[in-house]
Amino acid sequence: MSGWPFRRVLRPGAVRSADAELREEIELYLDLRTEELVREGHAPAEARRIAEERFGDVARIEAEARREGGRGRREGGRRMMETLRLDVGYALRTFRRNPLFFVVGALTLALAVAGNTAVFSVLDAAVLEALPFPDADRLVFVDGYHLADGEKAIRYASVPEFRDWRERSHTVSRMVAVDPNGLTLSGEGEAERITGELVSRGFFELMGGEAALGRTFTPEEAETPDGAPLVVLSDGLWRRRFGADPAIVGRTIQLNDRSVTVVGVMPPGFRGVSPDVDAWLPLGMMSLVGSADVLDSRGTRFLGVIGRLAPGVDVGRAQDELDAIARDLQAEYPDAHADRWARVQSFREEYLGTTGRLLWILVGAGVLLLLIASANVANLLLVRAHARVRELAVRRAVGADGSRVVGQLFTESLVLAAVGGVLGLGLAWIAIRGIVPSIPTGVLPDFVVPELSVRVFLFSFAVVGLAGLVAGTAPAASGARADLAGALRTGGWGATGRRARAQQGFVVAQVGLALLLLVGAGLLTRSFRAQLAVDPGMDMRGMHVFRVQPPRERYPDAASLRLFTHELVRRLEAVPGVSAVAASSDFPFRGRSSGSYIVRPEDPEHLIRYHRHSVTPGYFEKLGVRVLRGRAIEEQDRADARGVAVVTQALVDRVFPDDPSGVGRTIAIGDPRDPDNLVEIVGVVANVRYRDLTQDMMAEANSPDLFFSMDQIPSRTLEVSFRVRRDLASVLPSVRSAVAGIDPAIPIFAMDSLEHAYRSLTATPRFAAFLMGLFSLLALVLSGVGIYGVLAFSVGQRTPEIALRRALGARAGAVAGSVIASALRLVGLGLVLGGVAAALGSGVLRRFLFGVAPTDPVTFGGVLATMVAVAVVAAALPAWRAARKSPVEALNAE
Amino acid sequence: MSGSDLFTGTLDILILRTLQAAPLHGYAIGRAIRDGSEGVLSVEEGALYPALHRLERRSLLESEWGHTETGRRAKFYRITPVGAEHLASEASRWADYSGAVASILAGGGR
Repeated sequence: MSGWPFRRVLRPGAVRSADAELREEIELYLDLRTEELVREGHAPAEARRIAEERFGDVARIEAEARREGGRGRREGGRRMMETLRLDVGYALRTFRRNPLFFVVGALTLALAVAGNTAVFSVLDAAVLEALPFPDADRLVFVDGYHLADGEKAIRYASVPEFRDWRERSHTVSRMVAVDPNGLTLSGEGEAERITGELVSRGFFELMGGEAALGRTFTPEEAETPDGAPLVVLSDGLWRRRFGADPAIVGRTIQLNDRSVTVVGVMPPGFRGVSPDVDAWLPLGMMSLVGSADVLDSRGTRFLGVIGRLAPGVDVGRAQDELDAIARDLQAEYPDAHADRWARVQSFREEYLGTTGRLLWILVGAGVLLLLIASANVANLLLVRAHARVRELAVRRAVGADGSRVVGQLFTESLVLAAVGGVLGLGLAWIAIRGIVPSIPTGVLPDFVVPELSVRVFLFSFAVVGLAGLVAGTAPAASGARADLAGALRTGGWGATGRRARAQQGFVVAQVGLALLLLVGAGLLTRSFRAQLAVDPGMDMRGMHVFRVQPPRERYPDAASLRLFTHELVRRLEAVPGVSAVAASSDFPFRGRSSGSYIVRPEDPEHLIRYHRHSVTPGYFEKLGVRVLRGRAIEEQDRADARGVAVVTQALVDRVFPDDPSGVGRTIAIGDPRDPDNLVEIVGVVANVRYRDLTQDMMAEANSPDLFFSMDQIPSRTLEVSFRVRRDLASVLPSVRSAVAGIDPAIPIFAMDSLEHAYRSLTATPRFAAFLMGLFSLLALVLSGVGIYGVLAFSVGQRTPEIALRRALGARAGAVAGSVIASALRLVGLGLVLGGVAAALGSGVLRRFLFGVAPTDPVTFGGVLATMVAVAVVAAALPAWRAARKSPVEALNAE
Repeated sequence: MSGSDLFTGTLDILILRTLQAAPLHGYAIGRAIRDGSEGVLSVEEGALYPALHRLERRSLLESEWGHTETGRRAKFYRITPVGAEHLASEASRWADYSGAVASILAGGGR
């Protein structure tokens, strides 16, 4: 749009002087107009005031004239800023005149922005933020598993297996094994339980860390059996335990009662694969934490394996290669590698699992909520645009460009959105501080710390923009259409039908979107309840548990372990306030239990996988597990007695489908030709949910459980469980001193209540159901407000019609009924549309649902009923108002 | 230009028509329009200036600085041949439209 360029070409600096000329023109106008008014008899000062008032906002008119004169575009930025400043100022003045409208609109948007921002901050930290590892996108876990157990069951590899993978794989260029272990650090002060990782060669290079002090391990040191009693400390342990002693390198410390030499200290921020690792040791030093034999045992699987994808390789290709390697190994070692596979998984997937997907769903839910809130604000703006239609029409008639009016209306909704956005960010800030600490542990990996990052700000900015656009489009469109003819014809209510349709459209959309959210929340809540309703098969009240690991150095064999275990149980039973003391190799909901195979002696080829537990006498009774048949593990099941086992009903069903009792049957825990491997089933207990609430005990993926006598199969890891009558704190000192009374160098760790461990199993569904519930509650309230607003407005509009009907004898009830009926028509349409969308889309939740189908009729029915109830409530007040209109009053109002 | 935009140019047309007789400065144009038509400038007299500058940019008007009778510097606007042509065509559209409106009103619309 070039206009008349020659003038500017001829007169350099024309733009500035053109501004001055415009000012001069206006000044002249005002002077002459003042003189005219004086001639009409006004006092000079008053005349000037009137002249200025009639002229209008000088600054805005100057800006418009500049723009209309084609000069606005030349200095685009500055002019635009000025226009924007004027529009924003205008919008703020409008809001000052309508504070209620402003507050309601801004708060509505603030709530939606806050919800979106808070959820996105979690997604950002968990999914978008770089993992705390260098080049983390190329890091993968290589998880070994047995196909029969499902991919979730076992995630470890044996040392020889790991070495085979490492040698044969080209797609995973650097493969490293990591074995996390608790270790006891003693000497110089109280014995302390620390977390260590035994690592193979190349670990530090893979994780991108060089020692801040000293060095890391050489390849030989890392893997030579018992070759290098060395340790690398974390920065945290070095500061906490050794006062950041710069001379630490070369010193000897006591780990699990062995002397090891510190060779290095890692820099702050370097982290291992597990959370809060204090020290790293060579994989070759396996004898520190267990038997060195496992280094050569193909069937003992305990290593986590990680690696880096070779350049240009993706997870899929690496998976193909590992599948081929697994097949080769199955052929080479038919026994040890039967059914054995390896899964390649990115670090992000491994750490987040399905939580990442859940977060995306929650962010989607947040956006739905935002749309609902925006629709409400759009309706508010429409109602206001309605009231101003005459003003807009006149502005257009005197030549204001349609795009200027639209810009003005958009500016209003954007200003509203911006104010709502700022408020919302404030609310989000509070929410992140308030809610994030209450996200139960286990939902997110330890390194995920939600905060208001730059990305979160950008997201919120986009959210605010979206809200402003959605809320502004309809009013702006109606403003652009506002025309003098229509305004004059209808006495101010121009384009009534179109606007009403837009408002009703928003209500239909709101109802539909709210229904989507409610269905999501309903499904997640019902799934969560279904999980809570699963009978864990035990009595959790007051039950607590801690872990001890008698060190191999002082408790080298089964006899010494047995003695320690007996003494531990005996001393704890003597503590006042403590009862039901038992020890076991593992404990429900507390992480890994070991698995192995059994066979029926008559069918030795058919391996059946099971979970193995060792328990002390009275374990079932004390934990409240019902013995269905036969007996429990008792005192008589000593080391020298006949080998016995107690099994769960699920194991009987799996192993002896033809014999529902199972008691008295014999199974083999190894080659059945060796009588030492034969074990008699002496009892059957009810199914206990040891690992997971949501997996069926009989599911192919879930192995059944088998319990041995602790005396017959001792365990070095002891889970010591006991019931406390009152609170843990009152007995804890006595419990500690009871353990210290046996061996002061043995720390107790991982103290927890069974109820808490159980709750953390349900943490993710609880979290998801809570957030969705919160969102859908807000959605419900907002849609209710939306329905109310539109009906109240339409009742106001229909006043003459209603009055006429009343005058003609319509009863109040009939009038109220017609209002409610019109609400239900709108809501009905929204429900149909939303219901269809929900039925089609609820499948995305399938992965998170337990015991409830994505198209659960109870959920859908409940949600529909709720929405209808909300519609009736929202319509009640407008209906009542309509019914109360007296014919005379209503007709007078017109 | 769609039908509903017909009124947008009301002020433009009034300005062009006013200038058909002689070049005038802003105040004089405004005065003439106020005298000649009820309402169009009653909302905001200053709206005249964006309109003048728009018309100038579209080369329907041209301008020149001169002096008023009292000797003050003032910018005088003059209609161009293009402006005159535009006025003629708009005037006929206007007549059509107002005829239509009049017949609707006479027919006793809503």
